[in-house]
Amino acid sequence: MIMNLNPPDLITLLVAGGVGLIAIGAVGLAVSRHLLRLVLALGLAEAGANLLLVVAGYRWDAVAPILAGAAPAGAMVDPVPQAMVLTAIVIGVGVQALAVALLIRVKEAYGTLDIRELKVLLERDISAAAGLAPPCSAHGPDYPHPPGAALPVPLATSKESA
Amino acid sequence: MNALALPVVLPFLAAFLVRPASQVSTTLARWFGPLVLLLCAGLLIDIALSANGQPVSAHLGGFAPPTGIVFYADSLALLFALAVPLFALLLWPREAAGEKGDRVGALMLLLVGSGTGMALSGDLFNLYVFYELLAVASFGLISSSATPRAYAATLRYLLISGFGSVLALVGIALIYAQTGTLNLAQLAEFGPEKLSNPLGLAAFACLLIGFGVKAELFPVNAWVAEVYATAPKRISALLAGVVSKLAILVLLRVLLLMFDAPEARQMLLVLGLIGLASGELAAWRARDLPRMLAFSSIGQLGLLFMAMSIPGEWGLIAALAVALHHLVLKPALFLLAERWSGSLADLAGAGRRAPLAAGLFTLFALSLVGVPPLPGFWAKLVLLLGLAAQDGALAQTAIAGVLLITVVEAHYLFRLVGLLFTKTEHSAAPHRGGDLALASLFGVLLLASMPLLPALADGLAWMAGQVADVGAYQALTLGGAQ
Repeated sequence: MIMNLNPPDLITLLVAGGVGLIAIGAVGLAVSRHLLRLVLALGLAEAGANLLLVVAGYRWDAVAPILAGAAPAGAMVDPVPQAMVLTAIVIGVGVQALAVALLIRVKEAYGTLDIRELKVLLERDISAAAGLAPPCSAHGPDYPHPPGAALPVPLATSKESA
Repeated sequence: MNALALPVVLPFLAAFLVRPASQVSTTLARWFGPLVLLLCAGLLIDIALSANGQPVSAHLGGFAPPTGIVFYADSLALLFALAVPLFALLLWPREAAGEKGDRVGALMLLLVGSGTGMALSGDLFNLYVFYELLAVASFGLISSSATPRAYAATLRYLLISGFGSVLALVGIALIYAQTGTLNLAQLAEFGPEKLSNPLGLAAFACLLIGFGVKAELFPVNAWVAEVYATAPKRISALLAGVVSKLAILVLLRVLLLMFDAPEARQMLLVLGLIGLASGELAAWRARDLPRMLAFSSIGQLGLLFMAMSIPGEWGLIAALAVALHHLVLKPALFLLAERWSGSLADLAGAGRRAPLAAGLFTLFALSLVGVPPLPGFWAKLVLLLGLAAQDGALAQTAIAGVLLITVVEAHYLFRLVGLLFTKTEHSAAPHRGGDLALASLFGVLLLASMPLLPALADGLAWMAGQVADVGAYQALTLGGAQ
């Protein structure tokens, strides 16, 4: 089915796919609350950017850029973006692994993976470490927990003294 | 000039030798990192002296650009490249020897290697790789205090920074699709022709936001306060002082070489002004010193972006003046915050118990606000004169904004200075014996620069002229050289 498309159509499709992946990732980063979803959204956006980079150097009338013995007749696909995308993928994997490692530490310490709860807890934790009372509630309730739900208690204070 | 690659390569190599070295001897592991940094700084000084003020370049692996990657070092790049190992040396974390100390040392070396690379590289994708390396090293350093809040702050920073790198990558893809090259010198050749369209402007916006994450640019700076409040203060000092300036340097090169368009400069001015206003107002509301300094750092970098928006050499001079002023001042202030990390209210009377620290803080506050004989005044004056020389409502709004925000800045800084010297019966001020030697050194540097200001101004003007000389950049990187 895809093979029947003209090259220009296919390029448009690929560019649209790249932009779409970035858009999905960006929206995911903006609206998701679960930290693992945020990490995955980041991965999607990265895949989109990589796709755009590969498409930027692709040519339909050319062959794979592999030199075996004599140079092939005709044009070759630009290998530079492909090499760059390989680098970008490796960097992305490394950063995501680091993100998940941090996520485990955060879950162990705060007992939550909700980014908004985490933000409030973090704010409270920093203020407590600086010897400040939590911000007064002039802007409405400063904790978005539904009433009745148990507050996750940070283990933070127990490890502080170091 | 292949010695130019050594200050980048040596720290990378050394980073992975720290752990084996500590198997041999803990003393060796302790001194290994600082010694390598000293060597790098020495190499850079040697290169600067032998270059005699002229730009130098190095073709990595012997591949001539545009095929190969090129390092380019004019006086500005050398200055910032030198600042990385020097500041890292001064702010080297005081970890006890052992596995954790080794790990922090290795991360510091990675940070220095990638930071120096960012200052020197002349290839856009290479810059992106160094930028990512720098980011990962700084994640590790921020969370090295091993508190849960540091982990949470790092994770939030990582998500923002990750999104920034996606945008930077999109910008790079757009530029490559338009021009077919990522060599900065070639881009300077094709840029004015092929990038002066909406797609080119979108590419610039992507790069600006992407690299702007580290430079605390307005829409992507939500991480700043949390990170600087939770990271070890020496790391905060390093990030706010040096790392943010490296991102600025990259953006400055991209702006000058490829996107010298009024729209791009307007974008910088507007984002800078919003950053300045939001940062300083948040600093005014902050109730502890680390976060006050973090927000004021956002404000100062907003000022820097505004300086970059001024076209021509005058804008470069203004940007360099603001950048160097912030480079010296902010680490010094974070070193003082190492001692006074509690709430502001608890600092009442702290100055009477530690007069030297309070005196230094007063000096830095005066310079930050811009009280006349101090260097901060001249930096702001150059910026305001540059803005005044432009027409348009936007530039006039910016002038009014800077002056108004200066009042806010003066209010919260002098409020704290007053608080430090109030008489109290019992002072609750935490009196941690942070070392003042380093902060004093920065203070002396600031004072010593005052009689040298005319010479310094000449130096900046000369440096700006060299940076603005796009033709020389192209000739050296693409033309012969070696």
